[in-house]
Amino acid sequence: MSHLEEVSAFIEGAPPGELNDVVTDIKILTQNEPEIVDQLAPAFEKYNEEQFATVKLPGSSQPVVISSHNSLGGGRYFDVESSSSFDFDHTTQAASNVQSHVLEGAQADLVKSTLKSVGTYVNEHYPNAAFGVYPIESDSKVAVVIVANKYSPNNFWNGRWRSLYIYDPSSGSLEGSVKVDVHYYEDGNVRLITNKPVHASISSGTGAGIAKEISSAERKYQEELNKGFVSLSEGAFKGLRRQLPVTRQKIEWDKVTGYRLGQDLGGGSSKR
Amino acid sequence: MAAVDPFDSALDLLRRLTPKHVATHINSIISIAPDLTEDLLASVDQPLTIKRCRDSGREYLLCDYNRDGDSYRSPWSNKFDPPLDVGGLGGVNEGAGEGAVPSERVRKMEIKANEAFDIYRELYYEGGVSSVYFWNLDDGFAGVVLLKKSSTPGGNSEGVWDSIHVFEAIERGRTTHYKLTSTVILNLSSSADLGELDLSGNMTRQLEQDLPVDNDDSHIANVGRLVEDMELKMRNLLQEVYFGKARDVVGDLRSIGSLSEGARARDQQREVIGGLGR
Repeated sequence: MSHLEEVSAFIEGAPPGELNDVVTDIKILTQNEPEIVDQLAPAFEKYNEEQFATVKLPGSSQPVVISSHNSLGGGRYFDVESSSSFDFDHTTQAASNVQSHVLEGAQADLVKSTLKSVGTYVNEHYPNAAFGVYPIESDSKVAVVIVANKYSPNNFWNGRWRSLYIYDPSSGSLEGSVKVDVHYYEDGNVRLITNKPVHASISSGTGAGIAKEISSAERKYQEELNKGFVSLSEGAFKGLRRQLPVTRQKIEWDKVTGYRLGQDLGGGSSKR
Repeated sequence: MAAVDPFDSALDLLRRLTPKHVATHINSIISIAPDLTEDLLASVDQPLTIKRCRDSGREYLLCDYNRDGDSYRSPWSNKFDPPLDVGGLGGVNEGAGEGAVPSERVRKMEIKANEAFDIYRELYYEGGVSSVYFWNLDDGFAGVVLLKKSSTPGGNSEGVWDSIHVFEAIERGRTTHYKLTSTVILNLSSSADLGELDLSGNMTRQLEQDLPVDNDDSHIANVGRLVEDMELKMRNLLQEVYFGKARDVVGDLRSIGSLSEGARARDQQREVIGGLGR
């Protein structure tokens, strides 16, 4: 029996920056069925497109995004900023065979102006991010993708922020989501996974208007998230286990074996 | 290259994949590598399940240490549920699992430990369920202290806390060498305005200590203090990682303030400091 389904699920669940580690584990666990590793290309493709993998084109220092929104099919993707298309190997995450790809069509001007405005915003708020703007759905809509990664495996943590927005010029609506994924794994395994839907409408219909809305939605979300950490800490966490008993003293264990609930339990309570 | 033990790879994988779904991941690994089944079930901590004691009506917690096949021993009645087959190993074996019940002396300590940690649970958790299981070792005894508390449903946030403290007590005359391995599994989630948020995981810490022992009650007090200190330390650690570290990493990914203004402010500060030095 093949275990491709289980192994593919492991790939899909790989934390930010740890895909190679997960693949190494998979190879050892499946050493009795080595053919399985050769069948993982679809799982890698799904991972790369969903996680917005980034790749530097040969001769360029700017990372470009891999997503279903800039796929040309057959493992080729395009990038608007550099006006190029390229082959992407999903298993090795390497780009090759770069060719000129000039954007044309009804949304070309909106795509370029959005790219410029989103670029200004991204540079102001992301120390290390890749982004892209693409015409999608037969040139009827515009997709905006932002991905920021920070990997610190020496300190046992990695993080990823992904944003995706779809702008519909016919209705002026902007629909999207922000997803945060943080993994901490020093003597443990702690994971933060969030998904915040965003709905807005852009009255101006301009690239600057789109970038402004994204900027304000993401700022608002990050502020809400920071408040969310505080309310989880003060709420659910505090309610699960007290830091100290009500008496604010540790337990006097020598007494505990001889005492029952409702009597003098916490150390020092008799002094109150 | 030396061959890597598949068990180590399985543990590494489980340390990386979403901790909230550890049961699913373990089942998948077991289907791929059935040889690892027993080792994984014995060494990977999973959220505890609750059962009600038929004799006392009180709730108790289930784990590998009070299990024999599909039966679990209640710490309140000392009986397995469902009952073990007559003529089975039950009562003969004094080690952990496999129908083990502790020897009379160790069972006496187990009863006292359950009473003591019931008080501990009420003082620190103000609810929840606790269970303590002891078993004999050749040169002492061992045990596990379990605590579980779920937040009251409703409201915008929910949480479940599971504590699993496994210890060995190696008796050496007037002192005993205690070795404690503690895991806390903490799953939190929040909804409403924030969208979906899940903050879940587990952390493990170990410590070893020699402590004086006068009588068997000293053991309960020693284990009590070790667990109490460990939980205080781990609660602080969880708070730091879950709420401090997670927020800091998000802040490293995206800056709420403008990066160029931040850089300008730092430049100005450097100039001021430089000016003072002149």
